[in-house]
Amino acid sequence: MSTSSLNRRTFLRGIGGVAIGMPFLEEMLATSASAAAATSANASAVPVRAFNVFFGLGIPAPLQTEGYDGVLEPLKGLKDQLLIMRSLDHVRCDESGINAHFDGASAAFTAEPPSGEAKSGGPSIDQVIRHSHYADSLPPGMVPTLVGGTFFRRSRVSRYVHSYNLDGTVAATMQERPRDLFDRVFGKVDVADNDVRKERLKRSVLDSVVDQYKFYTGARSPLGNVSKGRIKDHLDRVREFEQRAYAMKEHAADAPPLPPESKLLHGGSADPGGEGIDITLDELTTEWRLMADLYALAIQTDRVRFGSLTFLAAGERIRLTGDYIFNGEKRFEFDDANQLRASGSAGCSHEWWHKFNPKKDNEQLRMHAHMKMREVAYFLERLNEDDTREANGKTLLENALITVSTESGDGRHNDVKRELSGVFHAVSGANGRLKTGEIVDVKSEGIDVYNTMLDAMDAKRHLGPTDREKRPVDSIRA
Amino acid sequence: MGSNLSKNLVNQPSLMAFYLRIALGLCLALASASSEGLRSRTGLMALYDFNESQGTDIKDVAGVGAPLDLEIEKITQVTRQKGALKVTARAMIKSKKPAARFQAAVKRTGEVTLEAWVEPANLKQKGPARIVTLSKDGSNRNLTLGQEGNQFSVRMRTKKTSTNGIPSVDTDKGTLKTELTHVVYTRDRTGRTYLYLNGEKAEEKVVEGSTSNWATGYHLGLANEMSNDRAWLGTYHLVALYSRDLLPHEVRDHYRLGPNAKTAPAPELAKADPNEQLFDEAIAPIFAKHCLECHDTATRKGKLDLSSKVAATEGGSEGKAIEPGHADQSLLWDMVQADEMPEDRDPLSPTEKALLKEGIDGGAKWATKTIDPLAHKRDRRATENWVRRLTLSEYIETVRSAVGVDISKEATELLPKDLRADGFNNTAYNLGVDFEHVESYAELASIIVSRMDVEAFAQRFNKRIKFTDKDMATLLQRMGTWLLRGPLEDHEIIAYRGISTTVASGGGTYHEAVAYIVEAMLQSPRFIYQVENQRGDGQVWPVSEYELASRLSYMLWGSSPDKTLMDGAEKGRLYDRVEVEKEADRMLEDPRTIRRSLEFASQWLNLGRLQNLRPNGDLFPNWNPVLAGDMKAETLAFFKEVVWEEGRPLADLLNAPFTFTTQRLAEHYNLAVTIDRAPTGLQRVNLDKDKARGGLLTHGSILTIGGDEASTVTRGLFVLHDLLRSGVNDPPPGVDTTPVPSEPGRTQRSIAEERIKSRSCGGCHQKFEPLAFGLSKFDGLGTFLEEDHFGNKLQDDGEILFPGDSKAIPFKSSAELMDLLAKSPLVQENLTWKVTQFALGRPLVGSDTPHIEKIHAQAQKDGGTYKAILKAIALSDYIQSTRTEATNES
Repeated sequence: MSTSSLNRRTFLRGIGGVAIGMPFLEEMLATSASAAAATSANASAVPVRAFNVFFGLGIPAPLQTEGYDGVLEPLKGLKDQLLIMRSLDHVRCDESGINAHFDGASAAFTAEPPSGEAKSGGPSIDQVIRHSHYADSLPPGMVPTLVGGTFFRRSRVSRYVHSYNLDGTVAATMQERPRDLFDRVFGKVDVADNDVRKERLKRSVLDSVVDQYKFYTGARSPLGNVSKGRIKDHLDRVREFEQRAYAMKEHAADAPPLPPESKLLHGGSADPGGEGIDITLDELTTEWRLMADLYALAIQTDRVRFGSLTFLAAGERIRLTGDYIFNGEKRFEFDDANQLRASGSAGCSHEWWHKFNPKKDNEQLRMHAHMKMREVAYFLERLNEDDTREANGKTLLENALITVSTESGDGRHNDVKRELSGVFHAVSGANGRLKTGEIVDVKSEGIDVYNTMLDAMDAKRHLGPTDREKRPVDSIRA
Repeated sequence: MGSNLSKNLVNQPSLMAFYLRIALGLCLALASASSEGLRSRTGLMALYDFNESQGTDIKDVAGVGAPLDLEIEKITQVTRQKGALKVTARAMIKSKKPAARFQAAVKRTGEVTLEAWVEPANLKQKGPARIVTLSKDGSNRNLTLGQEGNQFSVRMRTKKTSTNGIPSVDTDKGTLKTELTHVVYTRDRTGRTYLYLNGEKAEEKVVEGSTSNWATGYHLGLANEMSNDRAWLGTYHLVALYSRDLLPHEVRDHYRLGPNAKTAPAPELAKADPNEQLFDEAIAPIFAKHCLECHDTATRKGKLDLSSKVAATEGGSEGKAIEPGHADQSLLWDMVQADEMPEDRDPLSPTEKALLKEGIDGGAKWATKTIDPLAHKRDRRATENWVRRLTLSEYIETVRSAVGVDISKEATELLPKDLRADGFNNTAYNLGVDFEHVESYAELASIIVSRMDVEAFAQRFNKRIKFTDKDMATLLQRMGTWLLRGPLEDHEIIAYRGISTTVASGGGTYHEAVAYIVEAMLQSPRFIYQVENQRGDGQVWPVSEYELASRLSYMLWGSSPDKTLMDGAEKGRLYDRVEVEKEADRMLEDPRTIRRSLEFASQWLNLGRLQNLRPNGDLFPNWNPVLAGDMKAETLAFFKEVVWEEGRPLADLLNAPFTFTTQRLAEHYNLAVTIDRAPTGLQRVNLDKDKARGGLLTHGSILTIGGDEASTVTRGLFVLHDLLRSGVNDPPPGVDTTPVPSEPGRTQRSIAEERIKSRSCGGCHQKFEPLAFGLSKFDGLGTFLEEDHFGNKLQDDGEILFPGDSKAIPFKSSAELMDLLAKSPLVQENLTWKVTQFALGRPLVGSDTPHIEKIHAQAQKDGGTYKAILKAIALSDYIQSTRTEATNES
């Protein structure tokens, strides 16, 4: 597993043997400073930033009560930078006949149920803040919204996309490979966002074409040897086409080295009919951490101020294997299918959430949730390193509004109210606007919590109906 | 070295014809298997006789491919003795690996037989208790034979039954007894299903639906479900699986023979004589390449003719040339070994010599009656099972048929031209792919989609405009089946679903998602190529219904199957030969068949060459380039008239006494007829007053092959190659092949006669130049003249020696030569060869001969027309079957 983080220091040391020169650092600092100067009335102020970090399947409410001694242990090192919010419910987002993997995931960061298969009922908090503070546009060269993630389940968009425009449409095209995200941030594409989106979609077409040609050259191909050879020729040329059309795109002079090609499944093959995929912990976290590093670097270099990052989709279906090491100690050995004694979707880690029983130990669920917190912490730590300190002396994590959430507070699908209650949230201090260093039982609806956060961020609009009575949640305000 | 060498050569994926011959031989050999006290082997995929008396293994003794052995999980639950396995307590017996080969075979064909000799332990077992099962768990199966109290019950998955194989086919109550019983379940391609008990039909039913939804990853199990909850107790004496439906008399025979009967010998015992195979695949090409130039029927140097078995056996003026079994006593070997033969030509390579020696030592068994100089020289690799890329015209027509968009202009501009190989542009091995193809396919897909009403197109397949998994999967399956010419596999649905989710996650619309999916499908290998299953057990398999639909449509129309054909495939109608015949008749009446036939004519006669015609202005000062187009139009109109309007035998192309011409072409030709119509229009004219002209060879489109000087070399070679299916070797290195111009007192014919008399050239030139003598009165651009431009008198009499004949036939004029050619059985057969080559998209080789002969005989019986030939091909094994390559999978 790749354990080296990808941040400014790492780049200066050089990644994969490729040294990065000083101009990159200079440009980076200059960009950050100039962007900040250009967008803030107060020269000493830091830019407004808001990001949503989503992890799949949630943490059952009873486990949250254990604080940092339970599955939240990996966040302990960041406890002074975070506010843990418990007892938050999204029951208003319940869609009849649909489980929380969909409506709960849609509720995360929007407090709205879904509106169709690929649309949220309302905007996400990062976008409300973006439009409040950058009504016209962001500084030139900046990616308006960056949406990325490492995930597999794809049946409905809100399972994995967590930035929505004011009209509820997705705020940006999902970048699901590190290289895609790299291109989006550092690629020299001086075109409108729509063309980038089109390119991404064209890329997905080409991906499926490549997959098809690969199949007909592979072990399961129905073709004989000479025919396979002919299709292999074709595949080679498709790859050449792919290379010429996409991979050889010019990158900014200050760009870090091109990340390696993804080794994980993406696109349709990542979600084979909802049956789940086999994956090792090493494979999963290697790609995720590269994604997290690149995303953090995009923030550090002030190329992005809004967006979302997903670590595993809502209702994710993976059959995970591998040793789980935390702080140098082996805590567990993931082996979902064998431990569940099942194959296909029934052998996925998802099932541990269905089997959750507050009266039992729930060891496997705990370890999965613990691992997810470890990986969320990995990303947050990238934004909390010393060299991320800004003009006010605080780190990026401390200055930005970073909201961490998930889809449900209970993995069982037998009680809607319980399922959409107690949905775990953590939030950073947003430059002193919100409390940190505490665990708070907000005992409120998500919409009120989010609107309180928006108030704190001086947002010009709220989530939900305009005539809804304001119910501020003071316990989270600094 | 020799034997290894030949083994390597003959083990290469060989010719379909060879396999078909083997398969045919097997069928004949095994048809009487049971009457000789043997169980049938044809279609047998797995057989268990339970002859092991101990251990946990149950061996598959079918002897077909990798065995599908079974394993008993707990030996304590069974008792074993030779020929019987008694299950005394809940047991689990399953195959060590999935029954992939068997399930793949049934998936393709829809035919199956499950046979068992069993003795149930009691009449209480229910569930049904699983006697034999191919399943995943309690609710997912391909096929299961079970016991439901006192009934037998069979569940089989098709597209019309559930994934659990329900509704089942059951015998009547009380028909299952606790005694040794022979139970056989059969289903044919049309869904007709029988359950036999002790040789008699106990139940008859139609189980509709295609078996294309069979899983291929299920294990074979006995005595229980895979989930271990439907145990069966009793004794097994035999279990057999066939990938075809056993016929009633075979079932009766198997019952009569009892559970201990032997099975007919394995195919290896019936395979072709290796020495015959060696001759056909290695020795005949050596003769064709090195010997026939001097030792064929026409030349017979030293009175030795090696072109046919009979003549070669007789030997030459120096006695017997080949002593079968003894190369060292064979004159031919002596001369070859010493490099004395071929005379004045390169010697045989060491490999060729080794093969020749091995062939003679092995008995010199000739499998081929007559060596075909062209077919036997072809590299056999060219005939291997190459997946066929759509040609430019096929791509255009497929797009038109699939989505209703005319992309001809852009496709013609963007896609590289298909190159000519072995006389046609659709030769599969030569349909390679370059970067430009890939780039163009992507661009064309984008253009095509931009011209479609995507939403209306999608609604043809699913009215529900939704992104949900279920609705998208339904759309993808139906739309994909249409665009990709057959049902989609799960992995394909998943891949295309990935596009819709990406579009959705980018905030895209349903319209956009479908557009991108169609764009991807248009670039899929299944769209660009005619993808078929080529894997199997090395035997000849019937093609699947969708493959057959595609084969028929591309062969006849050069386009994808229409809705009727696809419906026929989906409903299993194409499994019925009568239905296929009806389909072929319907398709032959479709205008697309005419268009396709003109493409055949254009490629066969290389009419594209005319657009590059640039005659010497000094010789032909009045040449108008528009005439080249008129010549092409003349030939195509003539072909269409003969083949479609008048339905004449195809050989009439050579002497039909009319043509189509414009005013200017008639003048150019010096026709005696008067043209009334506008000068640019083609009209049919009778050639009563132009006796020398009539038939393809007298068209400017063909005559210009001779170049400005009306070369008898190139014209003669055309007749030799393209009408007589013969050939000669290339001229030796260093020979000046520049056309010799006529001059006063020296015509092309007299120049040709000089070459024929020459010792160094005559051996070959005598075989083809005289074939062009009948055309001598037509100049290089097809104008009929009595004298050339030097005033030399021209003559068009001569004699023709048909390859294989020993006596030449005289002709007095061009018209007589055309009549001789049209009436020649060799020419008629060669026309069938040409049509077949174009239909199959591959060159034909020596071992195709018996199959072409069969097609030709049928076509001649039906009138010898183009349609008759096509229909005979459509119904032949070439189209109905496929040669599989053996895989290691079971």
